[in-house]
Amino acid sequence: MSDNNTEKDERKKTISLPISRVRLIMKSSPDVSSINQDALFLTTKATELFVQHLARASFNNGSGRDTNTLSYTDLANTAEENDTFHFLTDILPQKILARDYLKSLEDMKEDEADL
Amino acid sequence: MASTSGNDDDLTIPRAAINKMIKETLPNVRVANDARELVVNCCTEFIHLISSEANEICNKSDKKTISPEHVINALESLGFASYITEVKDVLQECKTVAMKRRKASSRLENLGIPEEELLRQQQELFAKARQQQAELAQQEWLQMQQAAQQAQMAAASISANQQAGSSQDEDEDDDM
Repeated sequence: MSDNNTEKDERKKTISLPISRVRLIMKSSPDVSSINQDALFLTTKATELFVQHLARASFNNGSGRDTNTLSYTDLANTAEENDTFHFLTDILPQKILARDYLKSLEDMKEDEADL
Repeated sequence: MASTSGNDDDLTIPRAAINKMIKETLPNVRVANDARELVVNCCTEFIHLISSEANEICNKSDKKTISPEHVINALESLGFASYITEVKDVLQECKTVAMKRRKASSRLENLGIPEEELLRQQQELFAKARQQQAELAQQEWLQMQQAAQQAQMAAASISANQQAGSSQDEDEDDDM
């Protein structure tokens, strides 16, 4: 039992994501010049925690709980509803059914006609 | 999957790494493919978010390089303060591991002994060997001397016996 715990601790204390790739992505940000190596470690680990956080929050929040699945919609909804993840809404447009979109267009037309 | 395009925006964390992390976080959960793709892109977005914020904080300070402090402050101001403790722990662990690795490699190179010490030990061994050789030579010389002396003494006693023997022989003749 204690072995499981130490394994978890060890996993927590290391970094699984490729640090070099994280550096490349950081440098592609506008204006970012040089990054301290330790700052790079921190960012990489923070990104890992972010993935775990996003996955868990989306799963818990979503309708997939019963079916044990995580869908695109779960993620999009979480981004929309959760302040912390709101910055993702730009790249996470909520998919809507074409039928619903067309209906909302019709509704808008009707409103204009009323005016 | 080598990418020949130099477009910076195409940079993402490898899909396999993300898949693995999702699997570890949500074991036994089925994750749609488009959801996975989405998480990959969210990662990139997150990194940009943190970098930009940390960069701004860095610019406001006197420093030119983004430091760990800047990143931590960025996490705080963006609402990710809950990550800070764990992230700091990992940094400490990384530093310790790096130090151990440096120590270990230098230990392997020198067997834990610095060069001057190795030189000194070598000189000591040479001096010891010379001394041993000298002692051995001396011993051999002494032995040779002793052997020579003994040989001399033996020779002397034989001739003495012979002389004594001849006078004894005369006496013996008388008795018989």
